[in-house]
Amino acid sequence: MSAISGALAATHTPRARARVAPARARALALARRAFRDARTRTIAYASLFGIYSYIQPLAYRDGYPTLSSRLAFARAFSDNKAIRLFYGLPHDLLTVTGYAAWRVGGTLAIFAAIFGLLAAVRAFRTEEESGRMELVLAGPVGRNTAYLSSMAAIAAGTVILWLAELAGFLAAGLPAGGSAYLALATVSVVPVCVGVGALASQLAPTGRAALGLGGAVLAVLFLARVVADTTSGVGWLRWLTPLGWAELLRPFAGARPLVLLLPLAASAGLLTLAARLAARRDLGTGMLPARDSAEPRLGLLSSPAMQTLRGERGSLIAWLGGVGAVAFILGVIAKSSSSAGISKSLNRELGKLGSGSIVTPSGYLGLTFIFFVLAISLFACAQVAAAKREEAEQRLETLLSLPLSRCRWLGGRLLLAACAASALALGAGLLAWVGAESGGVEISLTKLLEAGVNCLPAALLFLAVAALAYACVPRASGAIAYGLVTVAFLWDLVGSLLSAPSWLVELTPFAHVGLVPAQPFRAGAAVVMLAIALVGALTAIWIFQRRDLTGA
Amino acid sequence: MSLPQPAPSLERHAKREERGPAERQERGPAERQERGPAELQEHAPAIRTVGLCKRYGQTLALDRLDLTVNKGEVYGYLGPNGAGKTTTIRLLLGLHRASAGHAELFGIDAWRAPVAAHKRVAYVAGEPFLWPSLTSAETFAFFAHLREGVDVAYRDLLVERFQLDVNKKVRALSKGNRQKVQLIAAFASRAELLLLDEPTAGLDPLMEVAFRETVIEAKSRGQSIFLSSHILSEVEALCDRVGILRDGRLVDQGTLAELRHLSAQTIEVTFAGRAPKLDDLPGVHVTNVGANALHIEVSGSIGAVIAALARHPVVALTSREPSLEEIFLNHYDGSHSDVRD
Repeated sequence: MSAISGALAATHTPRARARVAPARARALALARRAFRDARTRTIAYASLFGIYSYIQPLAYRDGYPTLSSRLAFARAFSDNKAIRLFYGLPHDLLTVTGYAAWRVGGTLAIFAAIFGLLAAVRAFRTEEESGRMELVLAGPVGRNTAYLSSMAAIAAGTVILWLAELAGFLAAGLPAGGSAYLALATVSVVPVCVGVGALASQLAPTGRAALGLGGAVLAVLFLARVVADTTSGVGWLRWLTPLGWAELLRPFAGARPLVLLLPLAASAGLLTLAARLAARRDLGTGMLPARDSAEPRLGLLSSPAMQTLRGERGSLIAWLGGVGAVAFILGVIAKSSSSAGISKSLNRELGKLGSGSIVTPSGYLGLTFIFFVLAISLFACAQVAAAKREEAEQRLETLLSLPLSRCRWLGGRLLLAACAASALALGAGLLAWVGAESGGVEISLTKLLEAGVNCLPAALLFLAVAALAYACVPRASGAIAYGLVTVAFLWDLVGSLLSAPSWLVELTPFAHVGLVPAQPFRAGAAVVMLAIALVGALTAIWIFQRRDLTGA
Repeated sequence: MSLPQPAPSLERHAKREERGPAERQERGPAERQERGPAELQEHAPAIRTVGLCKRYGQTLALDRLDLTVNKGEVYGYLGPNGAGKTTTIRLLLGLHRASAGHAELFGIDAWRAPVAAHKRVAYVAGEPFLWPSLTSAETFAFFAHLREGVDVAYRDLLVERFQLDVNKKVRALSKGNRQKVQLIAAFASRAELLLLDEPTAGLDPLMEVAFRETVIEAKSRGQSIFLSSHILSEVEALCDRVGILRDGRLVDQGTLAELRHLSAQTIEVTFAGRAPKLDDLPGVHVTNVGANALHIEVSGSIGAVIAALARHPVVALTSREPSLEEIFLNHYDGSHSDVRD
């Protein structure tokens, strides 16, 4: 009882404190608690949805004001498989609404999928792993109530995403009805991926394993959509993936609302199955067996950095695999970028959209490697977030009570993160080359390794920024670091479109990354960024040595 | 650390004592860290804090703590939750920075030279947070890499004594078992000073016995132990000296005998008829226990009470020294005698 009254009191309902709350109030209190718990993630995703859906239609209107320019754009893009890979199959590129449906819908659907998975694993596995669910279920709350409360919280978050995307479209002047439907198509991905995450959470015994499992499923679902959109004759694959359904709903291009039955049925099925499994198993365990005992393996324990590598190697391999796979695919399809029928002036127009000289294989690769800068920067933030976890979960206190200096601990972790980022960058270059070779593109390995290395200065700069945030404000450091990377990336895409002064546009590190291999490597900018990164990292270590440890 | 330095000035040492306890010690690192060439550190106490203060925002968590723990001593650090016990340990380890005053371990400044200090210290955290995916054996191996001089034979003996399955992953261990992992690692380090923050929380009574045995072994080897606890029987059984902390202040300190001497004695008396009124005697606190028995607490001499009692028909009388629990409660709750029994 104390646990549930605690949960209820946490929501500050005076009624709850006064007496035992009725079942519905208890469920509501739990849902409110879960919603509050997820607020940072919800706000971050909602901002992304709102800003992206506002900016893209504006950029299109500004970049392609006339029908002729739109026709040229459509001709260049509608058959470009390399572009379809990211944004999906375009239906109508001659209108703002059609463009928004393709570009915004296609991109945000991927984020919606990630949102669903993260929310589900957090609600259905991490809560249990931490022991909080045990407290809740020790009170007068059944498993089904707890499950439904978590679901309700995620549903509320999804509605907020829908509203944010809709608000962005409306602000950009798109028609209300169609915008609502387009935003609905985007967030229709969420419940299915919540189902995937909920099911993975029943199978896997730890949050990390559940994320790995769910992430693998998501990767397959994404790949199915990519193959369907880029390979002729396998369009039916689109019917097998929620990301495909979002396309098949065809917002602003002959809407087919009946397709909504697919995500509805799929999520209902997955969630019911997950609920069944949740009701049957022992709390705190997964359906898959957990290996709780093992003969000691004494490798990678010689220093804190090595032990970090040992703990993080699973996620490192996943990152390497993901980045490598995308790089390989990009290499393969780079061939299909062709310059046929594209005028010089249009090329400049494309440049405004941040699409560079997309029409040659090296131009395409140069443009898409910007996404690896983004990915590796996010990876760097994740490494600092892992360091922060070590402190928040008070293991750092135990470590630093040993004869180990704070400088060696944080320095070692940052060095490890830098090495891992380099491995990712080189891996991306290497696999893009392998892909390009097998796709029949003439491009040298050195050139693509250079493209990989080109990602590093900006990524290391963000590593240092994340480290500084961690040293100064550990609790908010994750939000600050991820937020800065995202804002810097979006600002690079749209800054020039909003006719901002050039010094303002050039504030973002992304503006200083040359589009290698299409453009030359900008050594000067790279040196400046690396110098800032080094100074930032050393400052971070200096500050970290002078503050109280947090946590507790 | 061991660089030869000019002979340490004892005057300087004395001067430090004169400084106000709450005065912030701003001093160059060279002076602090290298004050002690080996000889001076030889004589330095295991723990010495001078005017140690810690403020978190508006809260004063630790107020002018002056504490000395000598080498080879087992010091019990008592206080209820939130009194500042863990804060003290964090300051001693240099994990948090003192707002004023300073802490030394073996003459080494805890904040400025933590690594040198930690070579001689082992710590058991209040909450046994370890790496979930490592087994106990792997955790021990990890710690052994980070600290020289782990006594592996003794560690094996402790694993046996605490009945720990070293091949189980930490995430599958209960809180008590994770606590054992920390304890074994700390005691096997053979560090000269052990800082134990509520070390027996979560241990079963058998393991509590094993813990006491291990502490006594460590003491016989000359190790110093700083035992933060609120388990009074444990402190009473193990500690040479006891400090009592309340709201960040050290309110009492000394050997158990000294603390007892200063505290009230307890006399329980049963009378043949109705119990008389004795409230008007100085330094005496009386509680009625039923109709014809009294519970009397006397600070100072008991002569006046005995003389007063002699005028009444006493059937039974017991007198005893206060237990640590009573001393403790005496410091915490003015109305303690009313809730007793």
